Amino acid sequence: MLTRRRFVGYSALSSAMLAYRPLLHNGWAQTPTQRPLRLAILGSVYRYQSNMQTLADRFLVGYPYDGEWHMPNVQVVSVYVDQLARQAEAAPSPYQLAMTGAKVAPASSAKGIAGGLGRDLAVGAQPSHEKAEPISDLSRARSQKFGFRLCSNIPEALRCGGDRIAVDAVLTIVEQDDYPSNDRGQILLPGYDFFQQCVEVFEDEGHTVPYFNHKQLSYSFEQAQAMVKTANRLRFPLLAGSSLPVTWRLPDVDIPLGAEVEEAVMVGVGGFDGSDFDALEALQCMLERRKGGETGVKAVQLLEGDDVWAAGNAGRWSRDLLSSALSRSDTPLGLTVLDGRTQDLVASGVLPQLVKNPAAYCIEYTDGTRATVLMLNGAIQDFNISARVAGHGMVSTQFFLPPAPNESYSACLAAKIEQMFQTRSTAYPVERTLLTTGLLEACLHSRHKLNQRLETPQLAISYQPPAEPQYART
Amino acid sequence: MHQNTTSNHRPRLAAVVTAYKRLLHGQHVVDRFLDGYGWAGTFHHPAMDVVSLYVDQRGEGDLSKERVDRHPTVKIYPTIAETLTLGTSKLAVDGVIVVGEHGTYPLTETGIMKHPHFEFFEQITRVFRDSGRSVPYFNDKELAWNWDWSKQMVDTSHQLGFPLQGGSSLAVTWRVPSVEFPLGSTVREAVSVGYGGMGSYDFHGLETIHCMVERRKGGETGVEWLQTYRGDGFWTAWQQGVWPQALVKAALCRSSTLAPASATFTDTFPTIEQMRALVPDPVAYNYQHRDGLRCTMLLMNGLVRDFTFAAAIEGQAKPFSTQMYLPMPDGRTTLASFFSPLVYNAEQMFLTGKAQYPIERTLLTSGLLIAGVDSAHQGMRRVQTANLAEVRYQPNPESTFWRS
Repeated sequence: MLTRRRFVGYSALSSAMLAYRPLLHNGWAQTPTQRPLRLAILGSVYRYQSNMQTLADRFLVGYPYDGEWHMPNVQVVSVYVDQLARQAEAAPSPYQLAMTGAKVAPASSAKGIAGGLGRDLAVGAQPSHEKAEPISDLSRARSQKFGFRLCSNIPEALRCGGDRIAVDAVLTIVEQDDYPSNDRGQILLPGYDFFQQCVEVFEDEGHTVPYFNHKQLSYSFEQAQAMVKTANRLRFPLLAGSSLPVTWRLPDVDIPLGAEVEEAVMVGVGGFDGSDFDALEALQCMLERRKGGETGVKAVQLLEGDDVWAAGNAGRWSRDLLSSALSRSDTPLGLTVLDGRTQDLVASGVLPQLVKNPAAYCIEYTDGTRATVLMLNGAIQDFNISARVAGHGMVSTQFFLPPAPNESYSACLAAKIEQMFQTRSTAYPVERTLLTTGLLEACLHSRHKLNQRLETPQLAISYQPPAEPQYART
Repeated sequence: MHQNTTSNHRPRLAAVVTAYKRLLHGQHVVDRFLDGYGWAGTFHHPAMDVVSLYVDQRGEGDLSKERVDRHPTVKIYPTIAETLTLGTSKLAVDGVIVVGEHGTYPLTETGIMKHPHFEFFEQITRVFRDSGRSVPYFNDKELAWNWDWSKQMVDTSHQLGFPLQGGSSLAVTWRVPSVEFPLGSTVREAVSVGYGGMGSYDFHGLETIHCMVERRKGGETGVEWLQTYRGDGFWTAWQQGVWPQALVKAALCRSSTLAPASATFTDTFPTIEQMRALVPDPVAYNYQHRDGLRCTMLLMNGLVRDFTFAAAIEGQAKPFSTQMYLPMPDGRTTLASFFSPLVYNAEQMFLTGKAQYPIERTLLTSGLLIAGVDSAHQGMRRVQTANLAEVRYQPNPESTFWRS
């Protein structure tokens, strides 16, 4: 049932939606009388077009799903924004400000970051003249509109200000927002730290709830492994990963379950420790369907510059598969931008001119399957794959990323998250994301070691894929 | 008359376009024959050759010289007749590609641009008649800007016995989700929601509807009347339920370009008040088919930048809906890849000598566009469409949209 607070919050945005009741409740056979699931959302930054904003909003205002505007039977009860907490920590206290003669912020804004809804904590006591107050932060406005508690720390978000866990699920969206990097160029995102804080609360109380972790589990495979182990030990559903495995495909095809895959080439764009993770997830969600399921990766090598093209010429990755993957792209650059023409980027030999800094993530699976993720900044702007499958030829597709601001691929992910929260079972195994987390770390390690090939005994990860494809099709 | 598909002979094609400039239809279509395009997971080169080219309007930005320099087998001719005869006295090609879109031509008094589809057709069929031989004819988008000429084009193609295939990319592009209208199903209401202006993108919205509903039980039976709604009249009709709000909502739920109604949100479903604020000049063509089907083509500039479809199909619990996805080189993509299935279907016609979908669909949508503009010009009066009531045809039972 809709609570009054949620009703008022939502109706301020879209009263006509409420008049159209069939839109409010559908999917996963919920009945409207079922109590809404209470959700805590933890993230780095609630800024316009941040991952946190696009994904968290789906649980506030609904999202397109299966041909309808789906309003999740979920009540967001608490939100933790790491950016606000870190800024509050760094800011001088009212006492320090008074000592230096600075004006103390008015009482209203010193009442917790929710402006009175939260506890009176220093986190919100940003003096108005301090630039630390992020004007782009949307969490305060959302809190007022939708009536959730804006919390100054993670345990508070799980307990909603009380002394027991008061949520039914946790959604975590950690992303870059001034976090430092290590010497391998990995951003030290606090995914593990967020998770551990939740687990401490779970263990304190002997009570767990389903947990979703957006994108990679951690920058560290060791930490990621610990997260999966903990979830197994405490028996709570843990799902993670990117939107690419679940978004629409052009065309609507998958690797036939149980087919023998000889080789795959995935093409994408973006930086190191950025959307290379999305490309690895897209690759993995296809390849895990091969004969025998996933049996792990024995070695990786990250090549850069001319070595990428040399590896192609030496047959390390297939030019035919690259050509096939690129035939799915709608965004060739270079002459297409100049005068609209179509281009066979491989046959024309133009790729090395377009791509100044290519990267190849070469992956050797334990069962002999080979895969390469080619990051081709300057040649294209979308994500495509082609795989050579015994008896099926080349299977190729584009992972369709509908444009900003809607970015409706994240609606596809929201549906999987909500499904896990409601059913307590995951649509695909977290081991996929454990492997992709480890692949990314290993590839960046290879880069750091001057592009050496590295054996990866730690990535002997076996799992079975879901029998049914899990990407958007209806 | 037609190509023998078993011969090794590569069909030779003549291309006749209004203009050949970056991102104009002439460039999108003819380039795909010349340079190939991504299709079915490979870079596909059509098994045919464009050998001659006529460009009606050149000037700044013209790409035709660059194209023939790069493809020396193509020759530019100064007249349409010579483009077809290759400078000889008789038809010397195996197929004709016509793009009558774009360029600068006078407007009708109702505001439709007088694109020269018919003038091109007249000159081309004169060569056919003079040569005693006709070849397959691809005509991009609508037939002609007036009904009589549109009808005459279809009649002539039947008289001379050559396949004529045209229409919009919307009918053949990707669908998200990838679904086909169930053949032989019963449908009472259908809508499309799109963007753009009257006399241009309305055609795409109409083709979106007809590539679907022509598959209903009994096939296409013709249209009895049409009424256009704009401005306040549009919103009044909306609220009165002249078209089903539930179907418009279902179509909009397939859009991936909904303008957020609130400044800090990225994806919300708009209220009617928000839609009114976002869409200053909405357009609807509401029209009645002879078999009872009612269709509505909506243009909602400001709210969406894509084309979606929804229909109430008997026996289905919720609306049948999809997006006709156009990879659009307006910053979203660099290639207008929706021309690929259009060209692929044209190739199939050139190779098999058979139209892949009936030209009567395009005749009907061309006529509906004219009726829609007429109704607006007559103060949004309902116009009787005796001519369109006679357009009856059966669909190709095979799907021809992009799926592989």
